[in-house]
Amino acid sequence: MSLNADSADVAFTFKGGMLPMTVMELTSADPEHIRRQLAGKLSQSPAFFQHTPVVLSVEKLDEPHLALERICAVCRDHKLLPVAVRGGSEPVRQSAWALGLGWFAPVEEGRARALESVSRTPEPADDEASSVSASATDEISSHAATRLFRGTVRSGQQVSAADGDLIVIGAVNAGAEVLAAGSIHVYGALRGRALAGIHGNTHAGIYCRELEAELLSVAGNYKRMEDIDSQLLGRAAEVHFTKEQLEIKPLG
Amino acid sequence: MARIIVVTSGKGGVGKTTSAAAISTGLALRGKKTVVIDFDVGLRNLDLIMGCERRVVYDLVNVIQGEAGLNQALIRDKRVENLFILPASQTRDKDALTQEGVAEILEKLKDEFDFIICDSPAGIERGAQLAMYFADEAIVVTNPEVSSVRDSDRILGLLASKTQRAERGGDPIKEHLLVTRYNPERVTTGDMLTLEDIREILSVHLLGLIPESEAVLRASNQGVPVTHDASSDAGQAYSDTVSRLLGEELPLRFHEVQRKGLLSRMFGGSRR
Repeated sequence: MSLNADSADVAFTFKGGMLPMTVMELTSADPEHIRRQLAGKLSQSPAFFQHTPVVLSVEKLDEPHLALERICAVCRDHKLLPVAVRGGSEPVRQSAWALGLGWFAPVEEGRARALESVSRTPEPADDEASSVSASATDEISSHAATRLFRGTVRSGQQVSAADGDLIVIGAVNAGAEVLAAGSIHVYGALRGRALAGIHGNTHAGIYCRELEAELLSVAGNYKRMEDIDSQLLGRAAEVHFTKEQLEIKPLG
Repeated sequence: MARIIVVTSGKGGVGKTTSAAAISTGLALRGKKTVVIDFDVGLRNLDLIMGCERRVVYDLVNVIQGEAGLNQALIRDKRVENLFILPASQTRDKDALTQEGVAEILEKLKDEFDFIICDSPAGIERGAQLAMYFADEAIVVTNPEVSSVRDSDRILGLLASKTQRAERGGDPIKEHLLVTRYNPERVTTGDMLTLEDIREILSVHLLGLIPESEAVLRASNQGVPVTHDASSDAGQAYSDTVSRLLGEELPLRFHEVQRKGLLSRMFGGSRR
């Protein structure tokens, strides 16, 4: 697939933008506590609550796990639209992604990251940009987002590339998990779980030298090992999302 | 300066304590001043395997809590010179161990000993993490079965992330694989994973292979580390393991099915 940015019938172009955004800084992790306070605010200024997009900042909370889904539901009940989460632990980040929200690094770290990739918009959608774009300027940022892991990813370990492709030079063992916004390349046996396109990039793929995966997923469409044709197991394989389903083919 | 080596596995019952006892005995027999520490607080076993259970007065927790001095708690082995045992407490639980306390004890032992062997409890909880935290090297004990291999894989992941060396970012822990309870006949019949399978999944340097042997069970019950039984296959395999730990290169033994001669077929195998 090639997208030529010069051709006339482009469907879209990516542009950086600084939009005004309300940050909702949480000082309580209790959804009911939040609900009570929101109800009070809603009666004071109903004009503010018109499906206003908000970023939930959890930096002030020291909670490794959050009832993020319930907090979001409380917000939506009061006509606030959570679009992203800022800060928080790795599980918080994972659950934000699982809920279809974006994730921003905490303020200090965020600044450093912004400097690193000046031209990129910090929207979750930019992951598609890095894997789809063919232009030379984006080449650099997509390269920077690629994560290379050397060695065995062991049971219980999780290796993720939040903004781009993940390359593992080694095996991914049973009980391990590899995740990427883009594609996943495993130069070894893939025995664990591999989730590509975690932000919804359906063009992401999974490539491995030996397929023994517990779970394969591209943009949320998954297959368990049980669903994989046993003829394909133990061989080099590639996995793509085509025709509304996950397609696994021998590689090469 | 001592080499601090943790003997660990994740899964229980694979032969950690047996291996810790056999290896520390082997090191002491080569003239290395060695101390073996039981980190399995609450389920103390090492003293039984080492045959010194009747001489335990103070233990690791007593030392950490300042109720006894280190030299009061160390038990001198009766059979080998240069070998000391620091037993675990049977009455406390693992919360009695503190990182600072363990650090302090290891610091004191470091200057006096050539080897400090830490016998880890099963699991990946506090006790196991403390046993591995300060280690320079790790011996990961694995049985030729799927669950043991997966747990060892998990432990190898923790060794690479939850230890002092990993946190400081210097040289990583040196990892060794020790396959125990290996039965070549059962590997041939497909009951057990092959050595190649285990090595491929774990991709760690193989330190040794201990055959399944009645000598091990006998040694455990008699409280005499199997290294003393130099005529047994397991005793010889542990001796090879110790040699490799000291830098010698030895070919692997006991990993292939032995062709039985007429006499052994008539009078039983050689695994006694």
